[in-house]
Amino acid sequence: MADYAFLLDLGRCIGCQACVASCKVGNELGEGQQYVQLIEKTHGEFPKLTGGWNNHRCYHCADAACVTVCPTGALYKEDGLTRLDRSVCSGCSYCTEACPYQVPVMWEGKSSKCDGCAATVAAGGEPWCVRTCPSDALMYGPREEIRAEAHRRAEVLRERYPNAQVYGETQAGGLGMLVVAPDDPQLLDIPLDPKTPFMADMWQKVVQPSAVALTLGAAVLAGVGGVIARRRHQEELVVLEAEEMIEGDATDTNQEEG
Amino acid sequence: MAVREPLREREILRYRKRPRVVHAMLASSFLVLLLTGLVILWPALAGLASGGFTRWLHRVAAVVFMAVPFVYWFADREGAKELMIDSFKYDRDDWRWLKRFWSYAFGHTANMPKQGRLNAGQKMHHALVMLLSASIVASGLVMWFFMPSLGPTGQAWAAVIHDLSMLALALLLVGHLYFTFVYKALSGMTRGYVDIDEARLEHAKWVEEMEARTTAEAEEETEKV
Repeated sequence: MADYAFLLDLGRCIGCQACVASCKVGNELGEGQQYVQLIEKTHGEFPKLTGGWNNHRCYHCADAACVTVCPTGALYKEDGLTRLDRSVCSGCSYCTEACPYQVPVMWEGKSSKCDGCAATVAAGGEPWCVRTCPSDALMYGPREEIRAEAHRRAEVLRERYPNAQVYGETQAGGLGMLVVAPDDPQLLDIPLDPKTPFMADMWQKVVQPSAVALTLGAAVLAGVGGVIARRRHQEELVVLEAEEMIEGDATDTNQEEG
Repeated sequence: MAVREPLREREILRYRKRPRVVHAMLASSFLVLLLTGLVILWPALAGLASGGFTRWLHRVAAVVFMAVPFVYWFADREGAKELMIDSFKYDRDDWRWLKRFWSYAFGHTANMPKQGRLNAGQKMHHALVMLLSASIVASGLVMWFFMPSLGPTGQAWAAVIHDLSMLALALLLVGHLYFTFVYKALSGMTRGYVDIDEARLEHAKWVEEMEARTTAEAEEETEKV
């Protein structure tokens, strides 16, 4: 299946919180559980203020650090999106540390984050946030189409906002959420180069598999070697008894009989 | 403390009851920790980790594991001290023994230098277990209590240190079981007694010392009578 993606047009977001509310209600999220967060950012000094909304939520990285560190497979990639199966989550909270965007949070002892409305989309619907957005700031569809639309919108925006750009084409292997930003995304605290830390990759992809392999290999070798070595040791005992270097059980019996 | 009589005459008391209980406590908590850790290392077993039960079990076993040195200290202070000191003290015979380690590993004992209560390999084993336990406990406690402030790289480092310590401990366990099997030493930790011929071969200095002590005690008894 082709990769899907969200479009988030921050030039159009009016900060109305409709996506926040519909996501919460549509996904039947619990008390305190939230997948989308609107964070207002302002820069400069009055009266020369600039600012905007960051629509903080999962960026659905292709090389998702959360998926890399998840030990149980509760977090996984599907259709270009990062899904979360809470029923498999063990609550280790590795993902909350690993995510370069600090998206997953622990809720009632388990990881909690946007899963791209997996169930709703599977049933033929649109993600809740997309269908509720009144200002056309959100879209969902095949990633290539979304990418083209993002560039079209950024192009138009550049007439008034020369720094307008598309964010997410290359970050973390390419994001499943393409952001149209009217200005430098860093102004909204969106990192320019989010990365899975080198150590996290080493840990999950090198250290753990080789540790299991080495231990199992050693156990098999020791099993075979142990049988051989024990036999040799037994033979040695027999020789030593014969040479009367030690008092064997056989000698004992003779003495008792005598 | 009642000392159980040897099943056969040709046996020698290797471990009293208290160190055996401490050993059982260490062994069982270690195995639980190994298995409950393995479920999040081995993708095929990952399903067992879901829901967090194995994590709870891992932490319960961790508390038991961390309690072992304290229990040992209260149950058998002399034994604990002796183990601590012995494990880090190597005499000339020990170094000569270590040079010929492979011969011993393949089942040949006859020409090995005489060893005390612990042979040089056991000393190394115990010393490494103590040091690696310290690093696995430290990294484990960090992940248990300081996870939210570690950051992605810090978390990965803590996990890598934890994993590598466990790798080394698991390899030591394999070796530990290997030598137990090759030199038929299991009864020392179950009943407390081992075959005296085996002991004389592998721990000659210790057997001599024990026999000298027994003789001295016997002489004392005779004098009293």
